[in-house]
Amino acid sequence: MAGQPGVPFLEIEALRTREFIPAAKEALGDLIAEKGQAKLIRPVFNWAGRNSLFPLHWGLACCAIEFAAAFGARWDAERFGIVPRSTPRQCDLMIVNGTVTWKVAHKLITLYEQMPEPKWVIAMGNCATGGGPFRTAYSVVPGVDKLVPVDVYIAGCPPRPEALLDGILRLEQLIRERKE
Amino acid sequence: MQPEDLERALGPALGPTLVGVEPFVGFAGRLRFRREGALDVFRAVHGLGFAHLSLVGGIDWVDHREVFYVAWSDDARQYVLLSTEVPANDAHLESATPVWPSADWHERETWELVDISFDHHPDLRHLLTPDGYAFHPLLRSFKLHEPEELEVKTRHV
Repeated sequence: MAGQPGVPFLEIEALRTREFIPAAKEALGDLIAEKGQAKLIRPVFNWAGRNSLFPLHWGLACCAIEFAAAFGARWDAERFGIVPRSTPRQCDLMIVNGTVTWKVAHKLITLYEQMPEPKWVIAMGNCATGGGPFRTAYSVVPGVDKLVPVDVYIAGCPPRPEALLDGILRLEQLIRERKE
Repeated sequence: MQPEDLERALGPALGPTLVGVEPFVGFAGRLRFRREGALDVFRAVHGLGFAHLSLVGGIDWVDHREVFYVAWSDDARQYVLLSTEVPANDAHLESATPVWPSADWHERETWELVDISFDHHPDLRHLLTPDGYAFHPLLRSFKLHEPEELEVKTRHV
């Protein structure tokens, strides 16, 4: 990256990490004193977070087929920085893509609790949103929001990959507006 | 193998435990037995070559319940259907796991869905429904619940 004249902390080509932080502090010192550190750093975190959402790579039911298609060649969700990870320790987004039964409910909660903060949940499809056609069945959780807090609901049975991408982009809007 | 062959082979050994053998489409026969001698029946049928147990299930007939077993013989290339009746207020039966180990999960499923208990089962736990689940969904007395009502009783997490 070429340094810009007059902006000292951007001249980082030759700086190591331990030199970058004092340089950045010096450059931002007045702003931090004026607005407070949290207020200044928050937009940077939100920008980084919403452009590198790592969803948990798991499938519960037929919505997982659309989930897989969304990451395939045609829709290519990775162009938004969304990369499915196979362990909840590396994830900040849980996409509940299918019917949640009471049998699997505590495993879902375990996975959710293993994800580091901050974390978000997308309920994908009618089953995860409200039980779907199995709402009165003896074994189905009527909506995953009974178990974990949900940020975005996507309707459809199943939703097409475009709908999933739209849901993720709406979540990115939510993260952009996040204050704390 | 015909129903008569089954009756001839098993009748003397089982005595009154064997209620009867009747024809059943696609099967070597339907063998009805009393539940008191269930393990003897399983051993005798296994001894005839029906070494593979492919299905155990239960039916709720309201006044009684029926347990059925489907076993396959590689030699005869035939299935046999075993069935027995248990009273609804005392629904239990000897487990078939000593004879056919594959009965394990089928009997767990029958136990939780149709509420038929299996004596001397090695591991009688819930299979399809969560632990602590208070209902037996394949009983005819089971009504569709409001989701909220079900949730209160099954929430264990």
